[in-house]
Amino acid sequence: MNRSVRIMTAMLPVLACAILAGTTGLYAQDAGAPAPAVTAPLGQEAAPAVVPPQPKIDTGDTTWLLVSTALVLAMTAPGLALFYGGMVRSKNALGTIMQSFIILCLISLQWVLWGYSLAFGPDKGHLIGGLEWFGLNGVGLEPNADYAATVPHQAFMIFQMMFAVITPALITGAFAERMKFSSFLIFTLLWATFIYDPLAHWVWAVGGWVRNLGALDFAGGTVVHISSGASALACAIVLRRRLGYGKEHMAPHNLPMTVLGASLLWFGWFGFNAGSAVASGALATSAFVVTNTAAATAALAWMVVEWLYRGKPTVLGAASGAVAGLVAITPASGFVGPMASIMIGLGAGVLCYVAVLWKSKLGYDDSLDVVGIHGVGGIWGALATGLFASKAVNAAGADGLFYGNPAQLGIQALAVLISVVFAFVGTFVILKLVDGLMGLRVSEEEERMGLDLSQHEERSYS
Amino acid sequence: MVIDQERDCRRKHRRQRTLTVVGLTTAVALVGALAVFTGSVAAQDTGATPAQVVAAPALKIDTGDTAWVLMSTALVLAMTMPGLALFYGGLVRGKNILGTIMQSLAILCLVSLIWILVGYSLAFGPDKGGFIGGLDWIGLSGVGSEPHPVYGPTIPHQVFMLFQLMFAAITPALITGAVAERMKFSALLLFAALWSLLIYVPVAHWIWGGGWLGKMGALDFAGGAVVHISSGVSALVCAIVLGKRRGHGSDYMAPHNLPFTLLGTGLLWFGWFGFNAGSALGANGVAASAFLATHAAASMGALSWMAVEWAHRGKPTVLGVASGAVAGLATVTPASGYIGPFSAIIIGGFAGILCYFAVVWKGRMGYDDSLDVVGIHGVGGVFGILATGLFASKAINAAGADGLFFGNAGQFGIQAIMVCAVALFSLFGTWIILKVVQAAVGLRVTPEDESTGLDLSQHNERAYS
Repeated sequence: MNRSVRIMTAMLPVLACAILAGTTGLYAQDAGAPAPAVTAPLGQEAAPAVVPPQPKIDTGDTTWLLVSTALVLAMTAPGLALFYGGMVRSKNALGTIMQSFIILCLISLQWVLWGYSLAFGPDKGHLIGGLEWFGLNGVGLEPNADYAATVPHQAFMIFQMMFAVITPALITGAFAERMKFSSFLIFTLLWATFIYDPLAHWVWAVGGWVRNLGALDFAGGTVVHISSGASALACAIVLRRRLGYGKEHMAPHNLPMTVLGASLLWFGWFGFNAGSAVASGALATSAFVVTNTAAATAALAWMVVEWLYRGKPTVLGAASGAVAGLVAITPASGFVGPMASIMIGLGAGVLCYVAVLWKSKLGYDDSLDVVGIHGVGGIWGALATGLFASKAVNAAGADGLFYGNPAQLGIQALAVLISVVFAFVGTFVILKLVDGLMGLRVSEEEERMGLDLSQHEERSYS
Repeated sequence: MVIDQERDCRRKHRRQRTLTVVGLTTAVALVGALAVFTGSVAAQDTGATPAQVVAAPALKIDTGDTAWVLMSTALVLAMTMPGLALFYGGLVRGKNILGTIMQSLAILCLVSLIWILVGYSLAFGPDKGGFIGGLDWIGLSGVGSEPHPVYGPTIPHQVFMLFQLMFAAITPALITGAVAERMKFSALLLFAALWSLLIYVPVAHWIWGGGWLGKMGALDFAGGAVVHISSGVSALVCAIVLGKRRGHGSDYMAPHNLPFTLLGTGLLWFGWFGFNAGSALGANGVAASAFLATHAAASMGALSWMAVEWAHRGKPTVLGVASGAVAGLATVTPASGYIGPFSAIIIGGFAGILCYFAVVWKGRMGYDDSLDVVGIHGVGGVFGILATGLFASKAINAAGADGLFFGNAGQFGIQAIMVCAVALFSLFGTWIILKVVQAAVGLRVTPEDESTGLDLSQHNERAYS
């Protein structure tokens, strides 16, 4: 009885999605689509007499954005799934991989139905987007000049969808090996709706109040990394430690898998950062160069610090360092030059290494180091943007402290503070809610058995 | 007595091996000769092509469109190798993983050459009676860097050819899931070559190359019939003709490495954007719309499979979610360029449920479709083609047609005809090809080789040491 209730609860989001899809489906198709059919950019010189200049789709920009979308997909699944999957014990590998995969499916539908509208829809009081674009109503194939003037609006929407997908997937590292699958589904859906969507609106949407402050976040330092890092801390604290933490051997069961995942993350990050230029040109090239430079520098920096401090350079350390560098350069990638990216990567490798070391002294069990890498790396990146940003790289940005504009650093610090507090408090409330409703952790027996068998009745390796 | 038997056995083995070697060498020699021949024809023909170019209105290459289709080609390559190879490789037992990966890899190489030499010409060359393309483009003669007015007017003709090559390569590779863990490698090569020429090429011509189904108005945006129905139905025939694996139903045959399968799933999903959105042959609104439909259907397919499995079996499995995503992707393929996001969600939702029950029912039917090609690609493909006849809308793609739900019931009839034609043709064609291959080299490995595993018996290697 109890079990079937739980199953039904867990299936609610799926059912809700299906019903919503059914009811809004044909209507939205009719409402959203005719416009693109008229303005279909097939190369013909049809010039309808509309007052604003007809936005024209650029094939090069569209190509780059579609490719970038596919690249960011590869970051979540299989990239992050394997990165995390290799770091857990083998009895939890499938459960961990499953979390990333199912977030991809769940948040994709959430984004299509209401997420995109809440995040990027017409502004309501600088706090949230309206529901005018519910079910992609009005989000058609003609460009939207506010966000991307040379690509179909749906291409921009689906590019942003992949960001909404990877952010909650990053958090899963903090509660690895112990969260109940059904509670995890509900948590994810609530988190995406009440934390990610508003934050994305504040920072990126036209009219968002953090954006209006002048905060710079090129590809998601605050929205993606600080928010997931701060939420991961809340998760680690609320869910408490794994059974046997600190006593049992909990080494990664398959490090080659983790390195493969880290490489796919690096590969996909070019879409994440350089794709955020939403065009294929000078800015995308610059972002591409600094992304790679920062990742390489940070991996080396982590390696050197670890070598000095512990005596051996570890492979997991190099992989973590690369990811830390990628995280830190994310908000800055469209505003800084290659030399600044070396400084940012260096800072990321050292700071994140120290943060991961300190974790054990603080006592919380952030199992796969989301706080140390995404939280600390994200904060460093957001502040570093306030130091190294230069209008010479991107005229649409601003100058940082080192280019004579100390105020920018203050704005960045404010944006960091806002994201940390909002994400931490919000996540804490959502977790308590889900805990009261259905419990967060698997039973002790199930935890010993592992998530693979207890939650999914499967084994990774036979 | 025993020694005699052993000697006999060894002699038989040696004879078989000699036959195989002779057969393969002949095949390679034939292909080589063909290559030289077509090469010389092509060399002669290059002089003639400019005349055509002058006659046609000058088509201009668009760099953005070309970049997108080139990128999509690479994405579809990644679907076969390493995507499908690891997807299937993780599902078999540890002793067969290399053999399984090898099948995708070898098919990719073999079909690529066949396509360049004759396949492309027969599939997309000038139409002969609605059934097959002519040999005018043999060895890519006349298939140059200038655009073709129908096959992508803004990209070089060779880019279109290469994009289509990847489709031709993945289709027979999909079938290998039905013959997993038991087919002889030489037989597989011969089968793939014959299947590609005699089944894939005509079907591709009927639907995409100006053949009779295309003229009738059949809609198949990215290969629901050409790729998924043809491979799914052929997989059924293969599973029946080859018979079950030894120990099927009694031995423990669980996947040996599910993380590999999930890696393969991720790469298939990633590559499928090239497969579907690339089929727009340009970076335009239709590409963006197909990209979204693809992603929405995959997400919903995975969620609906999970929900049904959770309710039916009590646990949501990871393999189930991966299968549901692939089912959603396979199903939305023919519709992706003609439908909006909500039709895609509905199609994906049904795909997950239908394919789940198809896979569950397999157990009752008794055939050993080892990696569920029939249940996922066959059932998904059939449903996808029919759903295209329901949900297609000219508002999304003016070059398409309206489906039943948009007031055009005739389209649904056309789609049903396409399903029957492709399914029956694949069914009988594959059966004949298998019988021919069986007579020539035999289909299955010996029982002894099967218990040893394909890795050691066919390739003399071990996956893990």
